[in-house]
Amino acid sequence: MHTVSRKIERLINLTIALLATKRYLTKSEIFRTVEGYEGSPETKERMFERDKDDLRTLGIEIEVGSFDPLFNDEAGYRIRSEKYQLDLGEISPTEISLLSLAASAWEGAALADAAQSAILKLNSIGVPADAIDLPAISPKLSNSSEELKVITAAIAQSDFLQFSYLSSDLVVADRKVIPFALSTKSGFWYINAVDQDVQEARTFRLDRIQGSIEIKENKEEFDFPIEHGNQGLIVNSSEGVARIDVRKGKAHSLRVFALSTEDLGEWDQITVPINGLDSLVTQILWHGEDVFVQEPTGLREKVIAQLEALVIAHG
Amino acid sequence: MAKNISAPLARTSRLLDLVPFLNTHQGISLKELAAKFDVTTAQMSSDLTTLWMCGLPGYTPLELMDLEFESGFVTIRNAPTLSKPRSISFDEGVALLLGLDLLAGSVEQNRQDLITAVENLKQKISKLIDIPVTISASPKSSPAIAAVLNEALAKKSYLSLQYHSLYRDEITDRIIQPLELIDENDNQYLRAFCFTAGAMRDFRIDRVLTAQISAEKPNTVASGVATKKLQFTIAFKKPSRDVIERFGINHTESSKELMLSAFSQQWIERSVMASGESVELLEPLNIRANIARKAQLILDRYKAN
Repeated sequence: MHTVSRKIERLINLTIALLATKRYLTKSEIFRTVEGYEGSPETKERMFERDKDDLRTLGIEIEVGSFDPLFNDEAGYRIRSEKYQLDLGEISPTEISLLSLAASAWEGAALADAAQSAILKLNSIGVPADAIDLPAISPKLSNSSEELKVITAAIAQSDFLQFSYLSSDLVVADRKVIPFALSTKSGFWYINAVDQDVQEARTFRLDRIQGSIEIKENKEEFDFPIEHGNQGLIVNSSEGVARIDVRKGKAHSLRVFALSTEDLGEWDQITVPINGLDSLVTQILWHGEDVFVQEPTGLREKVIAQLEALVIAHG
Repeated sequence: MAKNISAPLARTSRLLDLVPFLNTHQGISLKELAAKFDVTTAQMSSDLTTLWMCGLPGYTPLELMDLEFESGFVTIRNAPTLSKPRSISFDEGVALLLGLDLLAGSVEQNRQDLITAVENLKQKISKLIDIPVTISASPKSSPAIAAVLNEALAKKSYLSLQYHSLYRDEITDRIIQPLELIDENDNQYLRAFCFTAGAMRDFRIDRVLTAQISAEKPNTVASGVATKKLQFTIAFKKPSRDVIERFGINHTESSKELMLSAFSQQWIERSVMASGESVELLEPLNIRANIARKAQLILDRYKAN
């Protein structure tokens, strides 16, 4: 326990010393002046190497340089305060409140810890939060897996992600992708990524990934697919339009997609875009006798085939 | 970044963040401080004791940090080097970015000032952590409706709602007295007394179509019927991902007959119908017969047209 405290003290003292210095500190200066470097030269050396790694793990950037670039003299170290410190520029009390609200969306979800520590840092700037009306129904992010961190790291570095994915016909297959976008919609998380097998952009739903996600370094350049916008990352290419009769006051979840609505009395006739024939068949079957397909024939035939199967199985 | 850091490193990180926080919260109580950093007061005391030993090279009283720790209240002096908060980490930035994006989608349209502020913050944060703004989140419910529900909760007023009940596929008008918000299975519900049903009901917020504050006190109607779970048995004949997700089961279970339960007969009927050839409902027999009858009815209609 004691040695653990000593190590922590040493790491903090090293941070302070490297931050406070206006010039590079050499290793021998560090060993001489920073408290905690003891033992043989090799021990100190090992300690220092480990400490540098540890600080980097904490996201603290240590700059290596030398006093005189013309001479190959001993390397020196420092931490630039502009890199160490949070710099959000001018920030208003309202902005602080908005950031706090943004962080609170993570309550109980995957990045709750990161959100919490971000808030502590923001509260340490010394700008008080504004009392903007914090609504009770503030949006919440759905409980997602710890994998979000891996995914966002891969997006930032254009690294590969490898995982097993449950396909629509229940086959679990290995995928290797380069992700370029992450989004959440209606409680589900999606990754947009370039599937390395087919070299095409695909959308993956996070809860369909089986087991863990592995990140693999990508050394090649990666060009972001340009056609995706900031919004609407989950784009399906439309396969035409269906004409469907829906009973008055019914089939609300189909009506929300209607491109047009015509009043037929007891029924309305709507047109909806077809984004995947099978999922439209499912929606039509869900609504039972309140929905009747007029066009296209392909859709009608699929619906009829499913109904026949239902009659045979349950009759 | 994505790796988990060890306990001593997590503690170092906390100590580094503690100094700027104390700097702007002089005289904070030990208890509150511990709560802010989500540690016990004993741990916080030990953290402070360690900080005491840190400072600039030289380590004379002039160079050490000056912590005062008087009857449970903490102040800090002489810590200029660490006085500013550390830059946000990648994970922290991602958390803020996604939270901001979610917020942007839930701010009411008439608050253009807040929408602009959120956009500016998103740009700043994404620059700080160097990630393209291709991560996005959108709220499930409309901001306008959320605003009305908030107001009703705050003022304890009555609400008149249009609500979409998914299983019955009906849009009903209801007058309710909202009581509280609950989070369940990743959804937000408004728990309320429903005067239309004469009983307590939970309303899923993303299924509220319109909401208005209602002035008059409604009359109580007949008391509602308690809901009981229905058991049903299902056989998977041609399982697909779509089907197992609908019935909420694991893909390794999909080759068997399963006994499941649901709150509504309509839900069972609709889910089996929507699954078409993929499943067969074995029990209860009355729902099974219903499905056969309905499917035949619809089929006849297709044959006639």
